[in-house]
Amino acid sequence: MLAPGIGLIAVFILVPMALTVALAFTKWSSQTPFSTATFIGLDNFAEIFGSSSVGRDFKGALINTALYALLSIALILPLSILFGMLIHQAQLRGANILRTILFATYMVPMIAVALVFSKLYSPSEGPFNQMLGWVGIGPQPWLSSPDTALVSVVLLNVWQQVGYFTILIIAGLTQIPPSLYDAARIDGARGLNLFGFITLPLLRRTLLFSAVIALINAVQVFEPVALITQGGPVGSTNVMTYYIRRVGIERAQGGLGSAMSVTLLLALVVTVTAVFALARREPQR
Amino acid sequence: MTIRPFMGLFLGSAIAALSTGLAWAEDVTVSFLTHWPPETVAKLEAAAATYSKDHAGVKIEVRAVPFGDLLTTLRSQAGQAGGPTITGIYDLWLPELARDKLVNAAPEANSTDVTTNWPKGVATAASVGGTVYGYPNEIDVYALNYNKKLFEEAGITAAPKTWDEFFAAAEKLTNKDKGQQGFGMINSWAAGVVHPFASLLASNGGSLVVDGKPALDSENAKETFDLYEKLIKSGASVATMGTADANTTGPFLDNFVSGKTGMIIMANWWESALKAGMGERFADIATAPIPVGPKGDGPHSISYSWMTVVSEGASDAEKKAAWDFLAWFNGPNSGANGASAMGDLLQSMGILPSRTSDVAAFAERLKTPFLAGYVDVLSQAHPFPTVLGGQEFTEALQGHIEAVQFGKETAAEAAAAAQADAAAILEKAAK
Repeated sequence: MLAPGIGLIAVFILVPMALTVALAFTKWSSQTPFSTATFIGLDNFAEIFGSSSVGRDFKGALINTALYALLSIALILPLSILFGMLIHQAQLRGANILRTILFATYMVPMIAVALVFSKLYSPSEGPFNQMLGWVGIGPQPWLSSPDTALVSVVLLNVWQQVGYFTILIIAGLTQIPPSLYDAARIDGARGLNLFGFITLPLLRRTLLFSAVIALINAVQVFEPVALITQGGPVGSTNVMTYYIRRVGIERAQGGLGSAMSVTLLLALVVTVTAVFALARREPQR
Repeated sequence: MTIRPFMGLFLGSAIAALSTGLAWAEDVTVSFLTHWPPETVAKLEAAAATYSKDHAGVKIEVRAVPFGDLLTTLRSQAGQAGGPTITGIYDLWLPELARDKLVNAAPEANSTDVTTNWPKGVATAASVGGTVYGYPNEIDVYALNYNKKLFEEAGITAAPKTWDEFFAAAEKLTNKDKGQQGFGMINSWAAGVVHPFASLLASNGGSLVVDGKPALDSENAKETFDLYEKLIKSGASVATMGTADANTTGPFLDNFVSGKTGMIIMANWWESALKAGMGERFADIATAPIPVGPKGDGPHSISYSWMTVVSEGASDAEKKAAWDFLAWFNGPNSGANGASAMGDLLQSMGILPSRTSDVAAFAERLKTPFLAGYVDVLSQAHPFPTVLGGQEFTEALQGHIEAVQFGKETAAEAAAAAQADAAAILEKAAK
């Protein structure tokens, strides 16, 4: 009974993963058959962690990806909780409209989001700088400076994803029995106490799930970089998926690209495992 | 848990393996992949429809992707079902595409057509090891573009001829209160960053590659890096005003067309983008040779060409139809007044055609002030080096030039690091 399902998983997931791991130890042009791959041991890993231009760019991409993921999670989760609690308030007028607007951003194709944001961020004619000018703040370079480009792409990501995570948080909030709040209020708890001692602890599983999904989404960032920044300026938005494509496909260095993919996979597995391990160490209430 | 790079690398390979051998028994569909803009794609589709009228059973489908995705699309889809049969490529990519057997060697008749009807240098750029792989089409060359109105306002009466005059003009054109820079440098687009640098280097008597080895630590190259650093430090160039996106537009283009950049070094294909962005103000733009550096013997710049190639992985019927279409499309009977349909299409974008008969057919059009400036410098231009590893070499150099632009490296550091990177890249690619 399980054979067809297992067979499909093997063909479409396990075999490509096993091939990637195997090719990471070879010199192979991705334009040639697998039979042309020659075993070179750990040379690919030595190169991507070495001092060559590929090594520097790879390490830069790894750091950029980590920063992108951290910043995205650090902004998305608090905003999702804030919006989720606002919408979850039954007495808030227009909650349904706000929920629809927030989720709509998630449904807009990334290509449209990227194109619109590239214009919004325009240093000379962009609306963002015009609005900053109204409150006396000078024009910002946004995507045009290596100091601000990555953060600008993060803000784009937050704008698009926050609606989806807000829906997850609302789902988590509906699971908290109102009687707990009533009991706490009888004990004198108000405002932040209710949030800190009831809402947040009981949202722990939802937040853990949201953090892991946000992390995986962030690590896979590709479209805004490919469409707007091309990894620049000075490699400041060069992220892992974009760089793996550049090396593995544009330059046809399949062995190197596979070594990068394996490293990315390992980094992701270790990070997600660490997140779950930390969550398990939290005292059960 | 899956990651896109895995799927990109391996599902693509699996699909390629499964799809070989597929062929149309009767009707043939030829897919033409390009990075041209919509209005040019419409002209290509019109030409393809004309061809199909006389060639029943052959359908030409046009697919356009942003320039930044062109090479990836070709590499990941060539030879697969639905993949491109014909692709317009940059000559720098040809050596590696030929090495990886992604492009089909031209049949004898087409090869003879190219070697007979195109200038020798252009035909050579479409060849690897003496084998012709495609039909050359556009020739691009770099020159100085400047805004005459801004020159007049700054009291500059003539285009700069030397680096000293160039730097002085850039400083005079700079007006921080108006957010105006003297000279615009591009970032975030490999060719857009490297080609103007290489043009200034050529006008300082240098070259990126000499006898197959990089020469980025030569005095000529160091002085070119120094010029960039000097322009940035003086404020005559503002790095954040030069960002380009995947479609080679963005703030760099916006700043020049809106009169916030006095001078740029750009190629002739830029004409259509300038006209679209400037309208009547396009008349303010003039073209001049690249200013000559202290070690230069005269104005030189960089030229490069594009060509259309046929995928090696296409079926025999598709290849035959594709080469036949290319011969017609690039031939003297497909366009108006003895020009090729490709020549007509290129001229609509302000691009210099390369076929000898097209150059003759468009002689009057090439005399317009903007294009004449490019035609004048073409004979003294140096072809951009097409070597194995050329794209990686270009991207590595781009990184160091941008690092100077944004103050992350000094000129001396950039020259030394660029040389070390380039030497390692070309050595690895040659193995």
